[in-house]
Amino acid sequence: MFTQTLLTGLAIGGIYALMAVGYSLVFSILNFSNFAYGSIIMLGAYIGYYAMVRMGMPIGLAIAVSIVGSGLLCWLNERLAYAPLRKRKASSLFFMISAMGTSIFLENLVYATIGARFYNFPELFAKSNLEFRGISIGVLDVFAMVFSFVAIYGLNLFLQKSRTGIAIRAASYDIEVCSLNGVNIAALIGLVFGLAGALAGISGMFLGMKYIVYPTMGWITNKAYIAAVIGGLGSLPGAVVGGVLLGVLETFVSAYVSSVVRDVFSFSLLVLLLMVMPTGLFGRFLEEKV
Amino acid sequence: MLSIRNLNVKYGQIHALHGISLEVETGRVVAVVGANGAGKTTLMMTLAGLLSPAGGEILFEGTALPKEAYKILGRGICLVPERRRLYANLTVRENLLMGAYLRKDKAGIAADLERMYDLFPIMRERIKQYAGTLSGGEQQMVAIARGLMSRPKLLLLDEPSLGLAPLMVQFMFKTIREINAEGVTVLLAEQNAFQALDMADDAFVLETGRVLVSGSGKELLENPLVRKAYLGVKH
Ligand SMILES: Nc1ncnc2c1ncn2[C@@H]1O[C@H](COP(=O)(O)OP(=O)(O)O)[C@@H](O)[C@H]1O
Ligand SMILES: [Mg+2]
Repeated sequence: MFTQTLLTGLAIGGIYALMAVGYSLVFSILNFSNFAYGSIIMLGAYIGYYAMVRMGMPIGLAIAVSIVGSGLLCWLNERLAYAPLRKRKASSLFFMISAMGTSIFLENLVYATIGARFYNFPELFAKSNLEFRGISIGVLDVFAMVFSFVAIYGLNLFLQKSRTGIAIRAASYDIEVCSLNGVNIAALIGLVFGLAGALAGISGMFLGMKYIVYPTMGWITNKAYIAAVIGGLGSLPGAVVGGVLLGVLETFVSAYVSSVVRDVFSFSLLVLLLMVMPTGLFGRFLEEKV
Repeated sequence: MLSIRNLNVKYGQIHALHGISLEVETGRVVAVVGANGAGKTTLMMTLAGLLSPAGGEILFEGTALPKEAYKILGRGICLVPERRRLYANLTVRENLLMGAYLRKDKAGIAADLERMYDLFPIMRERIKQYAGTLSGGEQQMVAIARGLMSRPKLLLLDEPSLGLAPLMVQFMFKTIREINAEGVTVLLAEQNAFQALDMADDAFVLETGRVLVSGSGKELLENPLVRKAYLGVKH
């Protein structure tokens, strides 16, 4: 029971971590919480659903289509909603309002065009289990876990080693100096949103397969937001640790206490942690030494 | 190399530079001195493309500068900003690599990293440290080295001596001359007027957004107006 709960927790934690990393990426560079991200994840799920169920693509290809589609949408979101604010040097409050507007717009766009009904991915895959020494875990969970961690590992490698990755970290500290070093900031921010969108595609796809696809499924990104804040907004290791921690703890609460108190638990955990550590577990290092 | 004609810069209602004109000739060290608030940083930021002029003209090697900062770096003008502004979350080596962001020549970048460690030997022991953990003097070295990694034709230095111990200030000015001797033209903004005038080939004194006097560094050191206004207080 314990190992099984842990594995299930890691699987959902992996998805939370993906979403939290997407949040944190954007936050680290533009310093605002991109509340439109949940809607991009929702659209990622729809794209995946259409690709796989309606167009009959194999799962690997459907995930790829969802990644590319969400990446483009997230990039477009920045171009249309945030780039104009950036040019006017607006404060992060305006970015947040614009993000909420985008989110409401996208959800209603789905209601108006696709409709409010729920869509299910084929049962077959989602419900099959792997048995091993009395532990039973869903194939989907294993797949989600492996895929999330590979994606996060790849992203981390990119951020640590590549020239563009170093520039993204530099911009997260001082965007102005980064432009003095020859970085085209508009293009770099576009890339960051594209990457966050790609992660949204993966997580949207897995959320859709694990639960169902519907217009307001983006609410689940509240969890990712909590995870990102627990880890310390803007910190990528923090987002990963926060996501995994939240996923595992929640699953244990559902399994050993009751699934009804699960969400109460998540929010309480957040409030408690912020009282003790206001900047989260891996709060950003912002000290300036003169 | 650089000619600035009748440059005006404003922050909203605040008129920070009032029709500044000045020339920087190739191969020289040019100092812009002036008290706190005179407009030195405003001038530097405008040249680097972080502020846009309200009027006037900036010509570099005979043509107008592009608007975006990253394109200006591409033209060979690099600003080392006031208060160093290193990336505290990156290592020293990564900071230097950011300086070489626009370059594609891997071998050249590696060779230049070595050159920087020769120029500032203490830096070699610090390459894996986060830049935020360095002392003020070390940070200034990394900031200048980061600027040089772009192989600029014109290096803009905004208050390189700010907050440094006297010995370190001397070392910094000596190094600036060495950098110049290797063919980099330098435009330097300093509050530390005495030492800046002493080492500069040409100099301009800025006061509340206007050029008060200009001449060779030595001339300005002797100029009674300058002596009274800036050198009265012994440094
Ligand atoms: N961001 C800003 N907003 C408004 N006014 C500014 C800003 N930065 C500088 N100033 C004003 O512009 C003038 C010149 O400042 P600055 O260029 O920083 O001088 P210096 O570098 O010579 O100390 C000062 O009067 C200062 O108050
Ligand atoms: Mg200044």
